[in-house]
Amino acid sequence: MIGLEIHCQLTNLQSKLFCSCKANYREFEPNTNLCPVCIGLPGSLPKLNRKAVEKATMIAMALNCKTPQRLGFFRKNYFYPDSPKNFQITQLNMYGPTSIGEQGNVSIEGKDIRIRRIQLEEDPGRLIYEGASERTQITLVDYNRAGTPLVEIVTEPDLDNPRQVRIFLNILSDLLENLGVSDPTLEGAMRADVNVSIEGGLRVEVKNIGSFHDLEKAIHFELTRQQSLAKRGIPVAQETRHWDDKRKITISSRSKEEDEDYRYILEGDIPWVILDSQSMEKWKNSMPESISSKKERYITKYGIPTQVADVLSSDKYYSDLFEQAHTESNAKEIANMITTDLMGLVDTREKREQSKLRPKHLSDLIEIINNGKVTRSSAKNALQKIVKTGKSVSEIVSQTGLAKISDEGELAKIITEILSQEPTAVQQAKENSQAINYLVGKVMQKTKGTADPALTLRILKEKIST
Amino acid sequence: MSLAISALEYISNVKNGNTTAEEFIAKTLDQISKHESKLHAFISINEKALDQARAIDKKIKLKEKIGALYGMPISIKDNISIKDGKTTCASKMLQDYVSPYDATVVSKLKSQDAILIGKVNLDEFAMGVATEFSAFGPSKNPWNTDYVPGGSSGGSAVSVSALECIASLGSDTGGSVRNPASFCSLVGLKPTYGLVSRYGLVSYANSIEQIGPITRKVEDAALLLNYISGRDVNDNTTVDSKNQDYLAEIGSGIQGKKIGVIKEMSKGAGLDENVESAFWRAVNSFEKLGAKIEEVSLDMVEFTVATYYVLTTAEAGSNLSRYDNLRYGYPMDLEGYEFKSYISKARKNFGPEVTRRMILGGFVPSAGFAGKYLLKALKVKNKLKRQVLEAFKKFDFLISPTVPILPFKFGEKIDDPLAMYMADINTVTANLTGVPAISVPFEIHNGLPIGIQIHADSLQEKQLLQAAYALQETTNLPGAPL
Amino acid sequence: MIHLVTKEDIEHVAKLMRIDIDNTDEYFERIQKIMNYFDILDKVDIESEEIPVQEVTINELREDEYIPFESKLITNLKNYKGTFVRAPKMN
Repeated sequence: MIGLEIHCQLTNLQSKLFCSCKANYREFEPNTNLCPVCIGLPGSLPKLNRKAVEKATMIAMALNCKTPQRLGFFRKNYFYPDSPKNFQITQLNMYGPTSIGEQGNVSIEGKDIRIRRIQLEEDPGRLIYEGASERTQITLVDYNRAGTPLVEIVTEPDLDNPRQVRIFLNILSDLLENLGVSDPTLEGAMRADVNVSIEGGLRVEVKNIGSFHDLEKAIHFELTRQQSLAKRGIPVAQETRHWDDKRKITISSRSKEEDEDYRYILEGDIPWVILDSQSMEKWKNSMPESISSKKERYITKYGIPTQVADVLSSDKYYSDLFEQAHTESNAKEIANMITTDLMGLVDTREKREQSKLRPKHLSDLIEIINNGKVTRSSAKNALQKIVKTGKSVSEIVSQTGLAKISDEGELAKIITEILSQEPTAVQQAKENSQAINYLVGKVMQKTKGTADPALTLRILKEKIST
Repeated sequence: MSLAISALEYISNVKNGNTTAEEFIAKTLDQISKHESKLHAFISINEKALDQARAIDKKIKLKEKIGALYGMPISIKDNISIKDGKTTCASKMLQDYVSPYDATVVSKLKSQDAILIGKVNLDEFAMGVATEFSAFGPSKNPWNTDYVPGGSSGGSAVSVSALECIASLGSDTGGSVRNPASFCSLVGLKPTYGLVSRYGLVSYANSIEQIGPITRKVEDAALLLNYISGRDVNDNTTVDSKNQDYLAEIGSGIQGKKIGVIKEMSKGAGLDENVESAFWRAVNSFEKLGAKIEEVSLDMVEFTVATYYVLTTAEAGSNLSRYDNLRYGYPMDLEGYEFKSYISKARKNFGPEVTRRMILGGFVPSAGFAGKYLLKALKVKNKLKRQVLEAFKKFDFLISPTVPILPFKFGEKIDDPLAMYMADINTVTANLTGVPAISVPFEIHNGLPIGIQIHADSLQEKQLLQAAYALQETTNLPGAPL
Repeated sequence: MIHLVTKEDIEHVAKLMRIDIDNTDEYFERIQKIMNYFDILDKVDIESEEIPVQEVTINELREDEYIPFESKLITNLKNYKGTFVRAPKMN
């Protein structure tokens, strides 16, 4: 049985959770995104970011959680150099339901994964270890990240294997992106701890896992370790283990009991926030359409094939493009163009950021395909140029000669030339009608895809049969 | 120009040209240098005070826009941050700490052209009732230097009493403004929780403490409250003051008001008989002013000291965790330590009382003890609050002696924490319930001051100050014998 | 539930709070006395009492706005290397 604790930064906010420093700390030199609040100077007080409450509530709603009537914050007390106050402001349900969500669920492959609790909390700073040997080691701290808004999502131990974990995390990641609360592709924006147990064994928590790739490895390792203990009749102890990034194994933390006593107390500096029904209703109504609802709509309304609808709906970048580009009539073609022609061109974060493509480009391209001005294959070439330059469709077509060759005389000339160069292929085509496709390809190559495919085939057939 | 004038008198004297800010500040600085070696009210002095006074005089001369406090010298408890100055909290842990920002109350006073004359002494991190726990040595009571000035805002009270400033800002977690005000024959106000921003006040027990003025006159406390109160974006716990003018109509009197005498605070074994008799004379004065007096029982008061110490130590344990000497603090080499041993060693620099409270504060919320101590104390606090709010349905004010005992000698209670904690019995209720309370000087017994405490319902400071003023006007007390 | 505070408890909690103490005995005596006094709370009937908290409405919360702090705070901190803060080694 596998349960997850996923930490997800609300990367789309402007400011930190409790102060006005920048939420996106990544662009700063170490320790230059600080103020008295996030560095915990004497006398500073947290001032809660309203938008963070709104966005975290949307996550809770999207995960079908119950939301509380009042939002309460608590202090988790522990000493660590990345924590400027030596406590973390977080949430729990110590005095009734006050954390941002509880008792939710996510469906994967027809199975319900229950969400135990969601809490809004602050991220600590970052530690960097320096020094050649353990003896000379020093610790360096960068507090830029301290106070970044973080949502912790705690699942029940409902996942069965690493594959399910991967699917779950992908779904969650798509969901967060679709909500517009986070960009999970940013480094460190989504992290997870895991607890693993086997039938009849106690719960083992694994911390310090750097990537989702390692998360799967860590689960594999733990399952194997626990099963081999069980086989030898050794009971699995309840403990916290750390993931050793270099050796790719889990190691017992040997943490003392005193480290686990967090002495939770109320955070008196933040009054409990009344989540009035009017605001909740407003937030609910302003939530973007869910991935599953989008998918359903794409299939039933536009007749888009299930697989295409799946890809389109789960990727916010694609679905946003689609929503802005499509009309009633061209929806299916736009969907196809995005999921076949565009996909390879904008498959990374960097490419998407650099892309100059606008929704109108897509609808314009479909239009000139439909009215016969360019071939599909030319449109694909044009798309490549648009992504790079952002030039309008008409400009690209006129400047680069992508207009379709529909003139029979011109095309016949080109075909005659090719046939004279390819005697073997001509012979083969005479014997086997399927082999003609090779020659069609040659024509397309020669014309850079601008030849009208139907016309090409007709002329080829005429010439070969004579 | 005498230094023994009220804030209102200071303002009118500067306005009509009887004195200048420079003259008054110069005299004040003289007074400080004359008395400091004996009284030790200050931890640091504002070196630029004279320059600031000259700048203010220039503004007055040129008829430029000027703040309402006209260069009035005000001292600030050294747990309230002033930008680019030390904020030590009278602790070795913060002996070198320089704040890079102003507390909200400080920027508000600066914007009214107050001169923040210096930072004043306190019990380390405001934990104590005698200012004996300052890491930099105690402050002495100007009425008799063998006696404690009260605490924890002892330096505030001493500086005001000894004419080393016109007024002071202290902080009150369980009586730390009212207790030294009472012990030094001054006015001390603990405002409604949330009326004054705590941004920049170094937290001890953040859910109940407030910054409050210590002054020689009730009207001065009203004046200062006008300038320091109100909502602050930097403090989520602040409430709207609705721009009340606490000074206007301060002489309205208390004719027909209903006053409850809190039975549990004005009778019983722990109450000094001289304090008791003075208190009943005060009750008599209220009656003569036209108020209706009745006894009221608040049986939860018996449990307030225990409740207070459970809650405050738990919060203090957490609030003081940040002092690990890594980002700021005092010089201590990192070499040869790992994290845990380093900070455990560094934190030895806390004094004994702070250490004691932090250990208590480690117990009460810890896994095995939270249900027995912390949870219970929170619930008792709730019950107490309900009881007090119920009483305010019937009464306009609730009164008691501010401190059940007279000022005591140095060392008298330092070795018996519990006896020391019991001195808080009359003051902690206002903190635990959030309501405002004020201490008004009433009598001097054998050269030792006695103060009377008045509580009002939440945000009823205006009424409270009217009652305090009415009582003040029945007295005619001398200043401290300097 | 533990009711009597032992010396080991004091030492444990001092460690938890990260304070070296030399004279456990003295702390023990005084703290035990205070903790015993806290038992007075057992006498109060608190069964139906709620946890007292302050409340705010959503509208009173801060807008999400980036406002950089007026000065470079790192220069106010000690123990730094480059612009990193130095801490002791971890183990």
